[in-house]
Amino acid sequence: MAKPPEPLNRAAILGPPYPQPVLGNPVSSLMESGVGNCYPGLEFDIRQLDVRFFPGLTFEFLGLEPAGPDGTQGVRLVNAEAESDPLFDDPAPWLKALKRQLNGPEGGALGDGDWYLHAVAQHGSRIELYDFNVFQNAVQMTPYEGETCWWIIRGIEADVDLTVELTQRAPSGQPLGNPVVLHGRRRHFLDDTGMIPDVYRAGELTASMCSPWTHDFRDCACQYWASNHPDVVLGEVVGPQAEDGNAAEDAAQPVTFLDWMRRRGPAQDIAAASTQERARPERYDPYEINLRWQELDFVLHGTETDGTPEMPPLTALHAAYPSLQDVITALTDDLAPLEFTLSMVYLYAFFSLRAPEDISEDERRDWPDLADDLRAARQLVLSVALSEMTHMRWVNQVLWTLDRAGLYPKGKYKPIVQPHSDASKTAAAESSDLEDRVLGLRPATPDAIADFIAVERPANRLDREYAGLVDHLRANADGYPAGLYELAVRIDSDGLQHYQKFRDVKLILSRYEHDTSIYLRDVKLADADDPAVADALGLLADIVDNTIKGYQAERADDMPRADACIQAARSAMRSFQVEAEALASGARKPGESVGVPFFAAWQGLGDGQ
Amino acid sequence: MVSDLIAAARPRSKHAHLAGQVALMAETAALYRLDDAQAAQLADGLMTGDAGTSDALGRLGLTARDIAPPPADLTRPVRALALNVAQTCNLACVYCYASGGTFGGPDTRMPWDVAQKAIDALIDDTPPGGSIKIAFMGGEPTAARALIRDSVLHARRRAASRAISVGFSITTNATLLTEQDAAFMAEHGFAVTVSLDGAAAANDRLRPTRGGSGSFDRAARGLQYLTAHQDRLSLSARVTATPDNLDLGSTMDALGALGFTSVGVSPMITSPTGKGTLDGEDYATLLAAMIGCGTAWMQATLDRKPHPFANLATALVELHRGQPRSHSCGAARDYLAVDASGDYAACHRFAKNPAGYMGSLGDGIDHAAREDWLADRAVERQVPCQTCWARRLCGGGCHHEVLNAGRPACDYVRGWLHFAMTAYARLMDERPDWFDGVA
Repeated sequence: MAKPPEPLNRAAILGPPYPQPVLGNPVSSLMESGVGNCYPGLEFDIRQLDVRFFPGLTFEFLGLEPAGPDGTQGVRLVNAEAESDPLFDDPAPWLKALKRQLNGPEGGALGDGDWYLHAVAQHGSRIELYDFNVFQNAVQMTPYEGETCWWIIRGIEADVDLTVELTQRAPSGQPLGNPVVLHGRRRHFLDDTGMIPDVYRAGELTASMCSPWTHDFRDCACQYWASNHPDVVLGEVVGPQAEDGNAAEDAAQPVTFLDWMRRRGPAQDIAAASTQERARPERYDPYEINLRWQELDFVLHGTETDGTPEMPPLTALHAAYPSLQDVITALTDDLAPLEFTLSMVYLYAFFSLRAPEDISEDERRDWPDLADDLRAARQLVLSVALSEMTHMRWVNQVLWTLDRAGLYPKGKYKPIVQPHSDASKTAAAESSDLEDRVLGLRPATPDAIADFIAVERPANRLDREYAGLVDHLRANADGYPAGLYELAVRIDSDGLQHYQKFRDVKLILSRYEHDTSIYLRDVKLADADDPAVADALGLLADIVDNTIKGYQAERADDMPRADACIQAARSAMRSFQVEAEALASGARKPGESVGVPFFAAWQGLGDGQ
Repeated sequence: MVSDLIAAARPRSKHAHLAGQVALMAETAALYRLDDAQAAQLADGLMTGDAGTSDALGRLGLTARDIAPPPADLTRPVRALALNVAQTCNLACVYCYASGGTFGGPDTRMPWDVAQKAIDALIDDTPPGGSIKIAFMGGEPTAARALIRDSVLHARRRAASRAISVGFSITTNATLLTEQDAAFMAEHGFAVTVSLDGAAAANDRLRPTRGGSGSFDRAARGLQYLTAHQDRLSLSARVTATPDNLDLGSTMDALGALGFTSVGVSPMITSPTGKGTLDGEDYATLLAAMIGCGTAWMQATLDRKPHPFANLATALVELHRGQPRSHSCGAARDYLAVDASGDYAACHRFAKNPAGYMGSLGDGIDHAAREDWLADRAVERQVPCQTCWARRLCGGGCHHEVLNAGRPACDYVRGWLHFAMTAYARLMDERPDWFDGVA
């Protein structure tokens, strides 16, 4: 073939169009946009900064009247003077010149009548805050409304010369008369130390903020409050109930959605309207919420309820430890090793999941979401593994706190960073006992994930033991150092996340269930003496070693040494992750996926068979 | 000769098609020029079906891609709205999709508050700096000239305050058009489409007034006012091709003489009464007529002379852009229609039709309905289309036509696209500068 086919049109030259890449982070994720990415304005209203974007001038941003543009929209000048703006104490020449302008004829003109921002100019570009049209051979200038103006002003750069022009207006909104032209620069909204300048008065940055018990509970425009209460609920079943809890006489009752903020009254509850506008007349007015908030019902499982639900007595769930020795035994023999074991088991499962980079072009085409799903599943499993490590650290912290307080049997304290005595070097796949199965290393098969979900289920064994610890500490508060109880509560309450995360993993991977090789590596557990895993096991030993040393240092209150050991452990963890990933992905032994035998170093563990 | 073309254009493989020496990759709409040997190779491959075609493409260095499932959400932000300002008409064109303008109901005009609400919703949903389009449809929209005037002024004012630019368009029979109407449209930069089916005789046959007399003369008078403002309006004619007016060559001449610089032809595939629809043999005749016009256009273009035939120019631009599509048009995707009672429809043809209902001004646009509708109607899911080489260029056909009459015109469409591909190769060869400025 002499030459390849000649590409003619854009599709042939450029190839198939890719979805638009996202260039940079969206504005809402930047620091200056406030921490609530979904609810901008929860900390402070960043737009209020721009009210004083130009030194000496204060503006207000006016939107459209409901009837439509009437010439009052735009950026109106509220105040113009240099005295109360501390920025003018700075001796920079441009500030001196601006101060002269504000104290001179320009300032004088601005003091009389209504002035609006007409145009801003920077870098040789000038933007007028008006739309320019020709209507019936006359030029018609329609002012931009406040939000549009704000978008433009937001784009002004600091430290670059800036010119602003202000004009007065005719009643139609058309600019009138000669503009006042001021030269200066945009204000810096943070100084070198990150402080917001004093020119902003107390309360100014939150002036337009949410105030829940007045208007925003009902009318919050960023939906923050709306996301914190239900829009619609199922009403309480009124009248005789059938066996399944639904109304015996009215089949529609339990399935009719009611507006949760409807005005309660003697009239029959009406079904929720489908738009905000329609629902509004039937809802409590803002002042009514203040007065009658107690009428808003609690909602359980989507249904309004008046009564207290019946709960089983909590004491039946666990038994508090009778003595401190029991606590210590439980922590050292059971809880800490269990956390370590589960952490390693989850790590093994993590490495058994394919990496997003491993998938082929064909697979990417057949399963467009596979890369993202793998990324998500791996991240979830890894985060639970790391969380177990955190728990193990906290348990160790309880132990050394007890030792420092002299409550530990003398000379007996040592950090616990080892697997549980029931752990096996391989998974006991055939066991009918959940706890046997889950203490062995397994790839993340659907069965394994189901077991992980079961073992992390709230009110599981770990939960109950921690709850016992909390009870014991609470009952004997005086005898223990401060903070121990809080630490125990913290460990106890952290567990729900693991359950939900594994459930999410199951959900994400469920679509590939018919062929697990799509997401699972065919990982084989290596023998302890397999030379391929020697490096990995060495790193693992480093990690354990340094962690133990770190805990000992913390026990001795030698924080610099503790820090050094923990950093060394972390560094080894990073290397370990690279190594284990390479083993599992087949980079070390091409064609083979090698699983690190995490528990190989500890003697006395069973083989699970 | 046309039958040869139709035969040549029949699908042989879902992967690709060969038109002369132009190869089309079906899934990506990429076009390649092949030399004689390469074209022969591909032709051989095509004879043996998908596997053979795939191989032949491979040997040419081209990879055939399989149909990818479309993304779950095919909707885009709505930026174009058709306002059905007058569900009434003074003409009684035999094929009208609106059954004489009323869509099968009583004569209705759109009330002002409906128009205003629809316009406000469209503008408020568009971010500042964006652009929107408002089309005035019917029936005969100029029957509601006061509403059009108010809508235009209101829309411009409101959009201006958000730095949004608005484009207006109207499709009219021009018989009620006054000089003031034309001046108003020119002032606001309207894109005006006048529906005419040919010179006086053909036009009067197909487009009688309600009383039965011809409409051509009145249309011509209204047209005069429009052509006086050609510098500020964008003016085009729309010819509905029925079995009765397939002499497109003379139609082009006649409408060109009236002053049109752009004339588009649209085949009548489905009408509520069945009158005027093309059938069987008619499609072959139509194709021959279209190719005749296309050939004339091509010659004029190569000679750097104007010719009003718009269909080929449109096809060439689309081929050059090479944008593979999942639907034929923007209905429900970025375009919706509003009728007099304030209901949204997938497009202007679906007014008062539950099959295209997309919400209401009171309840808001039903985005879930849009998503479902577009997903169902994506060309990747249509049965005859999945194996047709033209699928990504055609998009599956007009939704309204397909839902009412199926797809009787596929051979015609393929024949036309086959011709367009050969025209494309020729124009790229002899006048590539024509494509400069195609975005």
